[in-house]
Amino acid sequence: MICALGDTLEGIVDAARHKKIRLAHLPFTLASLPYSKPYYLIQRDERDSLDNRSEAYFYEILFSAVSRALLNAGVGSEESADMHVFFGSTSMDVPVFEGNHRRTLTSVSGMFLHASNGYGKIASSIAEKFDIRGSCYSFATACTSSANALLYAAAMIEEGHIERALVVGYDLYNNLGFYGFEALKSLAALEYRPFDRRREGLILGEACGAVVLEGKRRKVDDFTFLGGANLCDTYSVTSHDEEGSAVAETMRRALRQAGICRDDIDAVKAHATGTENNDRTECAAMRATFGHSIPPVTCVKPFIGHTVGACGVSELILFTESIKAGFIPSTPGFLEADTDLNVTPLTENMDVGKGIFMLNYFGFGGNCTTLILSNKDATG
Amino acid sequence: MSEMYIHSAATFTAEGHTGTNYLKEEIRRYTKENFRRVNRFILLTLLGARQCIAAHTLDGDTAIYLTTEHGILGETADVLDEIYAISSLPKPFGFINTMSNTAAFYLAQNLGIRGRNITMSSQQLSFERGLELLKVDFAGGVERSALIGGVDEASLSQKTMEDHADRGWRMMNGSGWFYVKRERDGACGAFTAIRSFGSGTSCMRWISEKERSSVDVVSFGALIVDEEAASLRKILKPAAEFDYLSDYGYCGSATACGISMFVKLCPGKTLLHINRDQRGNYAVVEVEKF
Repeated sequence: MICALGDTLEGIVDAARHKKIRLAHLPFTLASLPYSKPYYLIQRDERDSLDNRSEAYFYEILFSAVSRALLNAGVGSEESADMHVFFGSTSMDVPVFEGNHRRTLTSVSGMFLHASNGYGKIASSIAEKFDIRGSCYSFATACTSSANALLYAAAMIEEGHIERALVVGYDLYNNLGFYGFEALKSLAALEYRPFDRRREGLILGEACGAVVLEGKRRKVDDFTFLGGANLCDTYSVTSHDEEGSAVAETMRRALRQAGICRDDIDAVKAHATGTENNDRTECAAMRATFGHSIPPVTCVKPFIGHTVGACGVSELILFTESIKAGFIPSTPGFLEADTDLNVTPLTENMDVGKGIFMLNYFGFGGNCTTLILSNKDATG
Repeated sequence: MSEMYIHSAATFTAEGHTGTNYLKEEIRRYTKENFRRVNRFILLTLLGARQCIAAHTLDGDTAIYLTTEHGILGETADVLDEIYAISSLPKPFGFINTMSNTAAFYLAQNLGIRGRNITMSSQQLSFERGLELLKVDFAGGVERSALIGGVDEASLSQKTMEDHADRGWRMMNGSGWFYVKRERDGACGAFTAIRSFGSGTSCMRWISEKERSSVDVVSFGALIVDEEAASLRKILKPAAEFDYLSDYGYCGSATACGISMFVKLCPGKTLLHINRDQRGNYAVVEVEKF
């Protein structure tokens, strides 16, 4: 994974353990606004400067993350040929056109309309680069995009349709998203504080994460996908019903699909965007699902930002790699409980070994996705 | 394969230059809801799908699978212009409606259904890959009924224009939909095969083995070239060919539109639709009408 915390799993986990968070502050130059807002930018070196970005940069990040995932999973070239690609993103190739725009006189919208090869182009590029011969599936369900990519990759393996999948979540900085969320008045001015009484909104981030899914364990400490669910909350295109009924139903269906009950869950990775509506809805849904015994909850967005469509995979990697290292990361920035929410996330890292975990993701367009993972039968 | 019975099918197509006001007028034939802040892509989605289920009452758990090549083109370009050319923040609903899954949301909201809601794509094979997802959900018992469709605005993509200009296809807005259930009662047809192949050779082998079973009608996707189509005709010896691209025009979701037109309009009992992507992966969809 490549994100604001770094580009190696060890570095990312170490940064999460010690809360070494790096925030950039980006201006709204194009709109001539006299202020900036925080953003979790990939900051490896000079290459990552926003001024240096173009199509080549977009694919360098993508191929680098995929290459590391394949290497880390020990997938050889013969095995990768048989893979199928599941890709999830909110912005898709918009960063490519915004980046290329700096080098031409053509307008961004003109380039977008005349040169776009469609949502499937990025997944096809992965397949071509790594000589993957299988099918490509690109998911565009806003902030649940790569979570849904995972859900379907697992279902196809479970049903015996495919043997092996590469699941990628990728969203790179783009003005469309940054300016768009500012227009919605959703961006926090200073700090990320999901579930906190003084939360003030979300902070966007960029990430590219890739995982390999297969019907058998490749490493002793690999996680198992137990089940998941996706439903649509038709309350509003921008927000969920504050009673949390559709969100709670998604959690319940995921538990049922995984063949477990609520008491089996050892910890929850919340979606926790830090916006008023999301946090209110999600906490109401957790109370409805778990009653008075909500398991330990963590919110990982304050580490890498809200990586929108990529968050399904990027937060899963951050969460599971931390557990492999023996801890569930606490929620940085959380200071004061909100009595209306009645959910207090972890404020200290929690030691953990084996368990069953719920990961929640929600998005615009009422999309709700819950995944259930376990490392209980892992021998590592 | 698991049962995928077609209970209705519908296609809405419109010329490339069709304005949203006309589409808003059209949608009033199917629903009283007033869609104010919606764009062309959302209206196309609503028009195709509402036509498809006009005579049906849907279960509240019905799922929606929206497949698309390009997603929302027009409004995304408008919002980029607001930022880059007009130098302002975009309008909030303009920004929200750049996300293509909002179309599937507005459809679910309008129909009062809250089942699974997926928007997906796969270069040149979006509809076929969407059918594969639905097949998995039916096989796993996750869903029992679904609306599945393909929607695309007329694309101005230079590459697409160049690719198709010499074949005489005009660019269209298209929205093709199917109401699919696991139950056969009341069905008008079925998806009887959805197959993927890593090469033309393996696809041809499968088709050759099917030679003895009859295929009334054959149709080809946009990337099947003339020589390849000729070879396939020779093997299949179909009674007829449905050249929906020449007859009705091209859009990113032409496959969904073409197959639903076959179900709704064309003579013939069975259709074999053969398509491929740029990487040389093939997909075959077989449809039987009852």
